[in-house]
Amino acid sequence: MKILVALKRVADPDNANKVKIPADGSTIDTAGLEFKPNPFDEYALETALRLTEDGTKPKVRDGEVIVVTFGPADTESTLRAALATGADRAIRVDANDDQLDGLLVAKGLKTLVAEEKPDIVLMGKQAVDGDTNQVGQALAELLDWPMATFAATIEEQEDGLVVGREVDGGVLELSIKYPAVVTVDLRIVSPSSVYSTKTDRSFKYNEGVRFSPLPAIMQARRKPLDTKSLADLVDDTGLKINYLRFEAPPARLAGVKVADAAELVDKLKNEAKVL
Amino acid sequence: MITWSEEQRQIRSMFRKFVESEIAPRREEFEFGDTPPYDVLRKMITTFGIGEMAKAQFFARLERERSGNDSTREGSGKGGDTMAAMRLLPIIELSRYSPGMITALGVSMGLTANAIIRHGTIAQQEKYVPELLTLEKIGAWAITEPDSGSDAFGSMKATAKPDGEGGYILNGNKTFITNGPYADTIVFICKLDEGNPPEQRKVLSFVVDGETPGLTRSKPLRKMGLHASPTGELFLEDVRVGKDRLLGETEDIPARSSAKQTFTAERTAVAAMAFGIIERCLELCTAYAKDRVQFGRPIGEFQLVQLKLAKMEVARMNVQNLVFRQIEMTEMGVTMDIAEASACKLYSAQAAMEVALEAVQLFGGNGYMAEFQVEQLCRDAKVLQIYGGTDEIQVSQIARTLLAR
Repeated sequence: MKILVALKRVADPDNANKVKIPADGSTIDTAGLEFKPNPFDEYALETALRLTEDGTKPKVRDGEVIVVTFGPADTESTLRAALATGADRAIRVDANDDQLDGLLVAKGLKTLVAEEKPDIVLMGKQAVDGDTNQVGQALAELLDWPMATFAATIEEQEDGLVVGREVDGGVLELSIKYPAVVTVDLRIVSPSSVYSTKTDRSFKYNEGVRFSPLPAIMQARRKPLDTKSLADLVDDTGLKINYLRFEAPPARLAGVKVADAAELVDKLKNEAKVL
Repeated sequence: MITWSEEQRQIRSMFRKFVESEIAPRREEFEFGDTPPYDVLRKMITTFGIGEMAKAQFFARLERERSGNDSTREGSGKGGDTMAAMRLLPIIELSRYSPGMITALGVSMGLTANAIIRHGTIAQQEKYVPELLTLEKIGAWAITEPDSGSDAFGSMKATAKPDGEGGYILNGNKTFITNGPYADTIVFICKLDEGNPPEQRKVLSFVVDGETPGLTRSKPLRKMGLHASPTGELFLEDVRVGKDRLLGETEDIPARSSAKQTFTAERTAVAAMAFGIIERCLELCTAYAKDRVQFGRPIGEFQLVQLKLAKMEVARMNVQNLVFRQIEMTEMGVTMDIAEASACKLYSAQAAMEVALEAVQLFGGNGYMAEFQVEQLCRDAKVLQIYGGTDEIQVSQIARTLLAR
């Protein structure tokens, strides 16, 4: 089994309050921000590793996991970290964030899929910076492949996957054939949410994504990391989304004390308009 | 080395994630409960493959020793910076939340295992060291006695008497022994009693199992800080051991000088611990200074608070540079001499104590409450000026070296 995992780095979501926007609203100032892999993409990598192993022998990879990111040279540290976690090789498509939008990334991935011929393309359901939630769906459409989004569980079958998607009021199970595009939600990294055909159903993973053992961090230096240019993958690198203006959410106003229940009801009804 | 490399940052963020998810949420339990630290430490050792790596290095070294090509240089050459960082980063990251944990771990995997590696025969190393490196067994290094602290060898009363059948009878009381209450493998340091005056006696080390007839131990002692590290007393009363328990299996080993090498290793680790404590205090204080409002503005706008923060930052930079120096030296295959190790320890221990005390002050009433972590770090920091040689001993070590030049 060959799996391509698309990985994006984002400004540390735990430090969202450090994001600054200049007065003219032209851009988001990322200076001084720490970058981390998009959590949902980290879950996608964990899913790919679980699908290509026997859970009791995580050092032995059955198949190949390739990680790809679109970004400037310093995103290679994100890829090295993914290699240390267990991916076999990495590809960086050289581009700055402001040269990219969801459709362009999907088109780039389409070309990479044609070159690599993976059985599955895995990625997070969305990146926590732009929150556009487009790339997986756009890629499946461009490839004309079956797609399962917001996966909470995955079970490997002989010729495809059974994917559990959390929907309002329950879990929808989809059976999809290879090759396919799957985007994952947060519960995909629960102890018994992903099983390859090699992993016994009684096996329980640790909650969350795995840690890289120290020897793996050192070995990751020697794993292949290729660089490609965006223009190699996509003919028309024009953007379909243009950002006009950025503004910070309004600062929260101080609370007010209400005199009695009647005033509270009145405010809820007429000011907050929630009743 | 002027900053952490990309790879070192990656190692750091892995450990930080582990400590923040496995240890930080259980801080109360380790700090104020009776939970020993070993299960979570074992999990860390396994998760990061630390035990396996340490074992592989140990066996490679043993192989060289067997072939007569002994090299004491560890991690020199290419990749040495990563090896050194791998030793120091877990110390730093654990110290941010639990200096006690790293003490318990360091005494077992470091002090005790190294004492056996330095003095032991190949057979003794093979028998005792691997399980200490994986924490399958907990180690303790027993040198301090009720009446012998800084004057460790001079006033040492513990004795080994030949039993006439090739073995020895061990007697003595040891105290302040890290991991003492739980240790499986204890290195017991004592003097060979051949009827000669105590000051002329040879110093010997024995390996004693935790469950040995004649050995009793106290419950963990209550102490000011380092609550996550169980400390206790050991009482040996006519403990009979065979010669195979005598490290080196000879009475003619220079135990005093080897103990000094152990001190050097212990002292260099203190700079890393101090760095963890200082960095964490500064983080907590900076956030608090921005958040805490008095007289209508954040307290960070008051110059007296700014002075505290600035001094903490200076201490952080200085101690970080000492840590970088150690990493750089390891990469070059140079071992720090004991006077320099003493100077590093003296400075960083005092810096950590000062920073932690100022952190409590900056937090005011909140700083005095156990709920806020600076209270713990302040109690924990104090030990850095006491164990591994007190500040006063470090001063005399540095001065003696200077005056002998």
